[in-house]
Amino acid sequence: MKSLALDLHPPARRRHPPQWFPIAALTPSLLVLSVFFALPMGMMIGMSFAQTETFSPTLEHYQRFFTDRLSLAGFCRTALMSLLVAISVTVLGYPVAYFLARSTTRWRAVVFALALAPELAGVVLRTYGWLIILEDRGFINDLLLHLGLITSPLPLSKNLFAVVVGLTHVVLPFGILSLMTSIQGIDPNLERAAQMLGASRLAVIRTIVLPLSVPGIVSSMLIAFTMSASAYATPALLGGAGFKVLATMIYEQVLFYIDWPFASVMAMALLLMMLAISFVGVRYESRRRSRASVSSGGER
Amino acid sequence: MNRLISILYWVSLGAVLSFITLPLIVVVAASLSPTSAVTLQPWEWTGRWYADLWSSRWLDPFLASFRIATVVAAISGVLGLFAAYAVVYERIPGSDGLMSYLLSPLSVPQIVKGVAIVLFLSMIGLQGFLGTPALIAAHVVLALPFVTRMVATSLANFDANLDRAAQILGANKLQRIRLVVLPMIKPGVLSGVTFAFIISFNNIPLSVFLVRPGDSTLPITVINYLEYSLDPVLAAVNVASMAFILTVIFLFEKIGGFSAQLHGGSK
Repeated sequence: MKSLALDLHPPARRRHPPQWFPIAALTPSLLVLSVFFALPMGMMIGMSFAQTETFSPTLEHYQRFFTDRLSLAGFCRTALMSLLVAISVTVLGYPVAYFLARSTTRWRAVVFALALAPELAGVVLRTYGWLIILEDRGFINDLLLHLGLITSPLPLSKNLFAVVVGLTHVVLPFGILSLMTSIQGIDPNLERAAQMLGASRLAVIRTIVLPLSVPGIVSSMLIAFTMSASAYATPALLGGAGFKVLATMIYEQVLFYIDWPFASVMAMALLLMMLAISFVGVRYESRRRSRASVSSGGER
Repeated sequence: MNRLISILYWVSLGAVLSFITLPLIVVVAASLSPTSAVTLQPWEWTGRWYADLWSSRWLDPFLASFRIATVVAAISGVLGLFAAYAVVYERIPGSDGLMSYLLSPLSVPQIVKGVAIVLFLSMIGLQGFLGTPALIAAHVVLALPFVTRMVATSLANFDANLDRAAQILGANKLQRIRLVVLPMIKPGVLSGVTFAFIISFNNIPLSVFLVRPGDSTLPITVINYLEYSLDPVLAAVNVASMAFILTVIFLFEKIGGFSAQLHGGSK
């Protein structure tokens, strides 16, 4: 009864809530993130601009990065690899996403489970699978040799091809999900109407489904690009010494050459590449939104 | 023409689905075959690679990963819960800025976070921190934003009138959190904790900088072996660790599911 009487005036307490509680609740998280994320990031950025001995500000490490053929090649390889993965994820993911968006049969659940199952398996397991398949004495070469189609094993591993295949497999579920969401947003009646008016399947896909799913295509490519550019394990195992990207080169700089400033510059290059791509995505999204609101306003 | 397009569509669907499942099937097959080579010749099935897993060579890193992932899930679960509660529910001043700060690690690639942390530790002379303590700290930084975001989403969807009703009925703040808010956002918290456990357990890009000999996680031990050989025991390790992850997901789902059912029954 005592507490009831006390709480008959909740508005007064609402107006002056005890401020210590949210502050106490937030402090541990802010502390952990500041000590183990913000501070290290600040240090790394500072390191990339600091002279090695005197710690005076300098751009010499960046200069070294942009004049060094090896690191520039690594940067370009990362961009090329990520672009190829973005394209292959979107192309391969499209039919699956279309099926998932449109099917109403019970096969939908099966395909959905199959499409997302790899995500639970972890990157190492899948990469190991691709190593077995693509190796010089692996599954594919064994098959082709057996059939007499080739006489010596094809170079399928430790190169761009292997890395793109492996990363496509890693990223595909994410691409499928973003394409699926976008295709689900297209009114199926548009397709039916076009078909009734005599459009061929190809024409329906080309003039209705594809143009309307461009936002999904863009987001699938962006996700695939950023995930690939920052991937470490797949390029390390499937590319190895034959195909070095920024992520694996950063690792080498840290653990073998112990060149902190250069590792920091490479990490900055990777970070900036990612931020630039995300920025493109954000710009595209906001322009699309504003265009959509203008055109729907015009129709009325 | 329509026929051709539709055949092409089904063929491509089948091809992509086989592409997705092929490596998984190959690994399972390799884990049961005498050699790592998956060939067309028939082979004798063997379970000896699974028997080999019961040695300290694989059990130690497994237990290390398990320990780290458990601690990471617990810490990031509690911290994320409190942080999301403070920012979303209490709407303290500057909550938007605080939320973006809490989520900011998400926009930095893991490998960059890894470099930053290892550089930081060696600059301040804390190399002795490498191994389990550094792994836990780094994984918490990685998992915390995910947990915070998941809890924040479920808090945003939670009907604040329930909390007000409890307040009017005389519940104090801690009682309200314990008896009203927590049960309502439990699914969000549980999925956040499960997610934190899995990303810590499977993590490579951060761990690769922070392990040290004798104090390494399972995925790092596996990729270090993989660089030199395709030993089929690695296939068995991978299949077993995937089975373990599936069990964890299943168990968490059960906890959430059961409690939700009990909750519904008590109404």
